[in-house]
Amino acid sequence: MPQFAIEVNKKNYTVEADADMPLLWVLRDLLNLTGTKYGCGVASCGACTVMLDGEAAFACQRPISKCVGKKITTIEGLSEDGSHPVQKAWQKASVPQCGYCQPGQMMAAAALLEKNKKPSEEEIKEAMNENLCRCGTYHRIQEAIHYAIDEINQ
Amino acid sequence: MKKAIIDRRQFIKLGSFASGGLAIGFLLPGLPALAGAPFDCEFFQPNAYLKIDKKGKVTIFVAKQESGQGVDTALPMIVAEELEVDFKNVTVAIAPYGTLTEGAHDTGGSQSVMTLYSTLRQAGAIAKTMLISAAAAIWKIKESACAADNGEVVNTITMQRIKYGALVCQAAQLPVPKEVALKNPKDFKIIGKSEKRANLKDILTGKTKYGIDTKVEGMVYAVAERCPVLGGKLISVDDRAAMKIPGVLKVVKYEGTGAPMHVRAGVAVIAINTWTAIKARKLLKIVWEEGLHNNENTETLFAQFKEKAALAPQYETYSKGKVESIKGKKEITASYAAPFLAHATIEPMNFIAAINGDQCELWGGLQLPDWAVNTIAADFGFKKENIKMNLTLMGGAFGRRLHFDFAIEAVKIAKQIDKPVQLVWERADDTKFSPYRPANYHFLKASIDEQGNVQAWQHHVLGTPVATMTEGPNTKNAPEMSGLDKSFCYDFPNIKTGYTGLAFNINRGWLRAVDICANTFPVECFIDEIAISTKKDPLAYRLSLLENRPDFKTGDDPGAILQSPSRIAGVLKLAADKIGWGATRSPQHFIGLATHSFVFAKAYAAHAIEIELLAPKKFRITRVVATIDCGQVINPDGLLNQMQGALAFGLSQTLMGEITVMDSRVEQEGFYGYEILRFKEMPPVEVYIVESKEEPGGVGEVGLPTVSPALCNALAAAGYRPRILPIRKDGFTWV
Repeated sequence: MPQFAIEVNKKNYTVEADADMPLLWVLRDLLNLTGTKYGCGVASCGACTVMLDGEAAFACQRPISKCVGKKITTIEGLSEDGSHPVQKAWQKASVPQCGYCQPGQMMAAAALLEKNKKPSEEEIKEAMNENLCRCGTYHRIQEAIHYAIDEINQ
Repeated sequence: MKKAIIDRRQFIKLGSFASGGLAIGFLLPGLPALAGAPFDCEFFQPNAYLKIDKKGKVTIFVAKQESGQGVDTALPMIVAEELEVDFKNVTVAIAPYGTLTEGAHDTGGSQSVMTLYSTLRQAGAIAKTMLISAAAAIWKIKESACAADNGEVVNTITMQRIKYGALVCQAAQLPVPKEVALKNPKDFKIIGKSEKRANLKDILTGKTKYGIDTKVEGMVYAVAERCPVLGGKLISVDDRAAMKIPGVLKVVKYEGTGAPMHVRAGVAVIAINTWTAIKARKLLKIVWEEGLHNNENTETLFAQFKEKAALAPQYETYSKGKVESIKGKKEITASYAAPFLAHATIEPMNFIAAINGDQCELWGGLQLPDWAVNTIAADFGFKKENIKMNLTLMGGAFGRRLHFDFAIEAVKIAKQIDKPVQLVWERADDTKFSPYRPANYHFLKASIDEQGNVQAWQHHVLGTPVATMTEGPNTKNAPEMSGLDKSFCYDFPNIKTGYTGLAFNINRGWLRAVDICANTFPVECFIDEIAISTKKDPLAYRLSLLENRPDFKTGDDPGAILQSPSRIAGVLKLAADKIGWGATRSPQHFIGLATHSFVFAKAYAAHAIEIELLAPKKFRITRVVATIDCGQVINPDGLLNQMQGALAFGLSQTLMGEITVMDSRVEQEGFYGYEILRFKEMPPVEVYIVESKEEPGGVGEVGLPTVSPALCNALAAAGYRPRILPIRKDGFTWV
C-alpha cells in the first residue's frame, strides 16, 4: 500500500493508505483526529470541512494523494484550547445544540475570515450555505461570525 | 375504557418516563458510599446523580441521553441548585449505564426535565443535607445553625466555613436521609438563569466523542448492503471482487428480523478502516428475494387515503354529542396531507459491538438503551448482566435513536468476527432505511349554524401507524391522535374524531413532535378556514374558543396531565401582540397564526409568521414570532436554542422535506434528494417566554408543530391555501 507524507495541524505524518482514500477517513480512522466529522461522504453536508492551504475544503472529496504538500488544518488545529477567534465567538454565542456539525461550521467560517476579514452579509451566506445543521443553529452561527469579525478587526 | 394519552406513545409506555419510579438514593452493587457499605474517604456519592471527591470536585451524572436538546446542561443545573455549588465548577458526565434503575436512561417525548425535576432537586438536597450534618458534627452545633453556600458549609454562629471536599469522609458515613427540605424557588440562583452547554469547549475544539468517534482497542469497521425491500431475503452474494480489496477482512451475511425494529436482511463488509469497507461494498454482487410487497408506492398510498377518508374510520377516538344529526346551514370540508419524513441527523447511525463468548460489550448513542439491551439479550441469548452498554453522545436524534435497528445489526455482524466492530451507516442508508415519520392524511368537516358557530366538527385521520411496525399488525395502539382525542383543545357541541391505519411496506418510527405535529397542522389551518369562511378574525375566533374553557384532564389515571386551553390562548395572544396583529402592514405583507398544547409535556407554544409576497406563489418570510409557556424555565438559553432550532426543523418539513416511495424503495438517497433547511433560508426569529411558576414542562418538541400551520395561514391570507406538505409540491418558491 502506498505511503503519503502529509502535514496536519503543523505536524508531519506518514500514512499508509490507498491513493483514493479521502482525507476524511485518513484523519478519522488512521490519525484518530475525529473532530472532522462524517456526515455524507458526497459533498452534500459540510460536516467534514477542513482547511487546505487556508481554503475551506470538504475532506470527503479530497483523495489523500492530492493532499501531499498542502497545509491541512482541522478543528483540532484551529486551536487546542479554544482560543481562535471563531471558537471564542462560538462559545460566546453558545452555538451548539448537538454540536456534531459545528467543527465543519467553524472551519468554514474560519476559512472565510482568513480570506476576508470583513465579509458582507451576502458573503457570509454564500460561505456558510453548504454546511447543514439539522438542529437549526443557523441564527447563532451568524451571530457568532459577527462576534469573530469584531474580534479580528479590533 | 380509553387510555390516557401518555400511554399511547409506545416508547413512553416502554420506558418509565411517567412512572415516577426514579427513586433516589440507590446505587447498584459495585458502587460505594451506600450507608453501611465500606468507603475509602476518597469521595462522597449519596446517590447515582452526583459525586464529590475530597478535593471538592463535584461531578453531576446525567441519566438522560444528550442529543442536542440540552439535557446535559438543564438536568445538572437542577442538582447544582439544591446542592449549592457554583455551576461553573461542576463537571458533567453521562451516568454510566447500569447505575440507575431500568428505564432511567429513557430519553424522548420531551419528558426529561418534567419527570426528573423533583427527583434531581431531592438528589442535590440530600447531599447538601448530609454535608451540613457532617459539618454540624465537627462544630458540635445544631444543623439548623449551618447553611450551605457555594460549595461550602457555613457556621452561621461563627461564620467559619468548611469546603465540601473536606467533609466527604464524614458525610459518606452518614445515613442517607429519606426526606429533605427543598429550596423556595424564589431563592433559585441557577434555575432560570442561562447557562452554556456543558462541556462546550470540548465541542468547539473537536474533542467531544460522539458514538461514531468512539475507538475501541482492536476495532474494525463495517458497512452493510441491505435488502432494498423490507421483509425480503438474501438469496446469494458474490463477494470475490470485494474480498480482493486490500484491507477487507470478511464479508458476512445476516438475516432480517421483524417487529419491533425491522432489521433488513444484509451483507456487511468488515475491513481495517471505514473507507476500505465502503469501497468493497460497491463490489458486492447480491441477489435478493424481494418478497410479495415490492411494488408499493406513495402515490397509490395517498390515493388510498383519499378514497378511505370518505368512509367510516377504523377507530373512533373521540365522540361528543351527535355529529350525524347536525345539519348546518353551511358545511365546510377540507383535506390535508403530509408525507413520510426522515430524521436526517447529521451523525449517521453507527454502533460498536464486541462479542467474546457469552460476553457482549456495546458502544453507541441510544434514546432507549434498556429496550435495546433487553432485546439484544433475548434475541441473541446473552444474560443481561453479561452485556456491558457504554452510552455516548449523539450527533442529533430527533427520535431516530429511539430505534435500535442499527445496534441489532452491529451485534449480528460482531457475532461473526472475533474483534470489536463499528457499523457505520452511509448517508444514503440513513435516508433510505430509516424508521420514517408516518405519512398522514386528514379529512375535516365543520357544520356551521346561522350565527356562524360550529355545531359539529369531524376529523378523520388516515396514516401508516408506527405501532403496527413496532408492535405488529394486530396492535390496538395504532391510532395516532394526540391532540385529537379527549385532549382536543377546541370545544364544540358535537365532535367526532377517528383514525384509519393503512399497511405500507416501509418502516415507521417516532420523529420529533410525533403525531402532535402531524395533527396540529390540519387543525390550525382548518380553524383558520372556518374563521375566514364565517368572516371572523382568526385570532379573536381562536381566543373565543380557548380563553374561557376551563382546564381539563385527558386521562383517568392520577398522573394524567392537565390541559389548559387558557395557556394555549396565552401564548397565542402573546405571539399576536408581538407581531402586531391588527396593525397596518406594508403592502404585500401577510401574517398567519397557529397555537397548540404539546399535550404530554405541559408545554404550550404559538407562532406568528409574516411573509412578503414577491410574485405569484413566491414569498419571503420577513418575521417569525415564537412564544412558549413551559412553566418554570430551567435554562433560558437552552430553551431559546430549542425554539430557534424547532423553527428550522419545522420549516424543513413545511417547505421541502419529503420521502417518496416507488416499488417499495425510498427514492431519496441523501441530502441532495431529501433536503433540509439551509443557512440562507433561515428567517429571523424572535422568541418570547411566558413567565410562569408552574411545574416545568418539556421543550424539545413544542416549538415545532405550529410552524407549518402559521406559515400556511400566512399564505392563505395572501390568497392561497396550501393543504399539502411540503408546499414546494404546490409550486411555492421562497427566497
